[in-house]
Amino acid sequence: MRDATSGARGSGAPPPRSLQPRAAVPGASPSPARPSGPSRPRRIGRALTPLLWLGPSIALIAVVVLWPVVEMVRTSLQKISSSGVTLGGSGSRNYSDLFDEDAFLAVVGRTLLWVAGVVVVTMLLSLALGQLLNARFPGRRVVRWTVIVPWAASVLMTALIWKWMLDNYSGLVNRVLLDLNVIDQPVNWLAHPHQAMLWMMWVAVFVSLPFTSFVILAGLQTIPEDVYEAARVDGAGAVRAYFGITLPLLRPAILIASIINVINVFNSFPIIWAMTGGGPGHATDTTTTFMYKIAFYDQNVGESAAMAVVNFALILVMVLLYLRASRWREEVR
Amino acid sequence: MKRHLMGAIAAGLTLALGVSGCGKGSSSKGDDSDGKTIKFVAAIYSDNTKPFWDSLIKDFEAKNSGYKVQLEMVDWTQMDAKVKTYVQTKQVPDVLNYNSFSDFARDGLIYKASEVVSPQVLGDFTPTFTAQAKYNGEQYGLPFISSARLLFYNKDLLKKAGIAEPPKTWAEVKADAQKIKSKGSTGYGLPLGPEEAQAEFYSWAMNNGGGWVDASGKWTINQQPNIDTLNFLRDLTKSGLTQPNPETTDRKTVFNQFAQGKIGMAIGGPFTKASFIDPANKDLNFGVTSLPSKSGTEHNTLGVMDVLAAFKKNDGKNKEAVTKFLDFFYQKDNTSKFLTKEGFLPVTSSAGAALSADPYMKQFVDALPTSKFAPTSNPAWTAVAGAVKQSLGTSVAGSQPKKVLDEIQKTAEKSG
Repeated sequence: MRDATSGARGSGAPPPRSLQPRAAVPGASPSPARPSGPSRPRRIGRALTPLLWLGPSIALIAVVVLWPVVEMVRTSLQKISSSGVTLGGSGSRNYSDLFDEDAFLAVVGRTLLWVAGVVVVTMLLSLALGQLLNARFPGRRVVRWTVIVPWAASVLMTALIWKWMLDNYSGLVNRVLLDLNVIDQPVNWLAHPHQAMLWMMWVAVFVSLPFTSFVILAGLQTIPEDVYEAARVDGAGAVRAYFGITLPLLRPAILIASIINVINVFNSFPIIWAMTGGGPGHATDTTTTFMYKIAFYDQNVGESAAMAVVNFALILVMVLLYLRASRWREEVR
Repeated sequence: MKRHLMGAIAAGLTLALGVSGCGKGSSSKGDDSDGKTIKFVAAIYSDNTKPFWDSLIKDFEAKNSGYKVQLEMVDWTQMDAKVKTYVQTKQVPDVLNYNSFSDFARDGLIYKASEVVSPQVLGDFTPTFTAQAKYNGEQYGLPFISSARLLFYNKDLLKKAGIAEPPKTWAEVKADAQKIKSKGSTGYGLPLGPEEAQAEFYSWAMNNGGGWVDASGKWTINQQPNIDTLNFLRDLTKSGLTQPNPETTDRKTVFNQFAQGKIGMAIGGPFTKASFIDPANKDLNFGVTSLPSKSGTEHNTLGVMDVLAAFKKNDGKNKEAVTKFLDFFYQKDNTSKFLTKEGFLPVTSSAGAALSADPYMKQFVDALPTSKFAPTSNPAWTAVAGAVKQSLGTSVAGSQPKKVLDEIQKTAEKSG
């Protein structure tokens, strides 16, 4: 009612709408407690205005992100029969079962090593690759395209190709090493946990390189040439310029690339599943493949959901710790 | 302005809800309020499977006007995940082709066999398989195909090693494997990788008096005969008589090597020739004999059975259509056509005679009466088999057999 009587809408007398809020804010902010000023519904309406623009993305996040998380947590607290029927609540039983698994701690430890190893190596190689791709040389376009290829190919396909290259009987890797007399009999690479882990980490690095080096490349291209010129005038050499200028200015790019890589590598399923299936036993499982095995080998969907929740918490903690360590707030400014 | 805003939000929400609502509505609408359209989820056994069902369903629909069968083919590697999703989202098919049924029966999801096939069909099932299709004394599963295991041996390699007869006892297996190895080939191909470790292990254990359960149905996975069996297989491996790393090897690798004439002996099924040996080497000179046993006196074979299960839906409205379809499939001509195409063994008496004409298949049909089965009528079996697949292989590598079996026993008891 009051909205209608104020009659502002039809008359055209008030200033253009875009100015209206701005005029109101300085008056309202020093003394927010004062009830006067624009009418209450009007203020609520104004406060809700951003919702119009934010609404769709909030709805999207709620449906695509929050809802599955809620479902995941809910499932982890339920008892679910092997056929898939929900049999009711189970309290924290799924969690205690999970923590009682003999392989649990080893799998978590291995996952952290896997993430750290893959991401660190990927970042180091990508810094070099980014530099190469940024340099001017004939055929640069071809090289840039080539670097994209592992990214364009399906990860599963890449993993399967590597699996066959590492095959005990007919693998290319054994053939080459035998011909070079590096080894004197075929090695069953993927059957030995340590070797298998190293090879899979290499494949993970291989498929992470394109994205990472292109982020680095984009970062490199934002660094203005005159900064380097000034450094040269001041007598800085190439090494000094790299550590004094390039690296610090690349920090936002490195930060973004490594966070996305941490999440990707942590959740990486196809490489391990295709190459070793997490075996022998649980010797090459990460939490992601372990979670799958609990659901589909052990037929325990509830416990698997508990593993998913732990997984989710782990990655959240890892990313937060990383952001904290790298003082990301400074980047936002 | 406010009203516009609220209107927009309301409209947006309505749209969003409407869209998701529609999604749900249409998918549940897809099945059959009239009970004449049924959904059949079939497993892919080979390239022949889909054409078979396509033509069978066409035939069925022509002879039963008004009834429709929607076919969905699922690969075995996807099957477990799919089935769980169907059940959890309450979108179960009317008929499912799967390798277990007892947990569906326990949870009251499927019809009893007598409710969905005619008495003639029910009587046609071979008693061995009917026994495997029961849960709590009632038959729920409909036996679909069966399979048995025998020892495959490469005649040329055995001859080269100076072995006249394939081995009957475990001691002979080891001695023969040694002779084959001394001529430069692998003695025995042992697939204990996650693919089907439970089948390979049981093929040995049952011929040493071992097994999964005792007479009363209690889990006895860590019993002494089983430990001895694993110790024997571990000894074969550690003596270098098997291919390297049995714990990560699956059947495909073993039979690929076998087909190339690099492995002397391995355990295979009726499908082994068509799916593994022929594609790699049609001219392989191999023979098939009963599974070796520790004593050499009694030779059992591993029986395997897949089933059809009919799900309860719409308060039983689907029962009539399901019965019509199942009775149609279990006609002699239809079942035996499927079995010949796929290289499996019959589960009905009527289809049995047709298959015995082929001398290769006859050996397996003849072995069926001695077959022992995994305890598939126990709902916990799938979880136990899962635990076996994951960890049994490690007993011939890093871990000790007793410890591995103790762990699996623990899992089994926990699962019920």
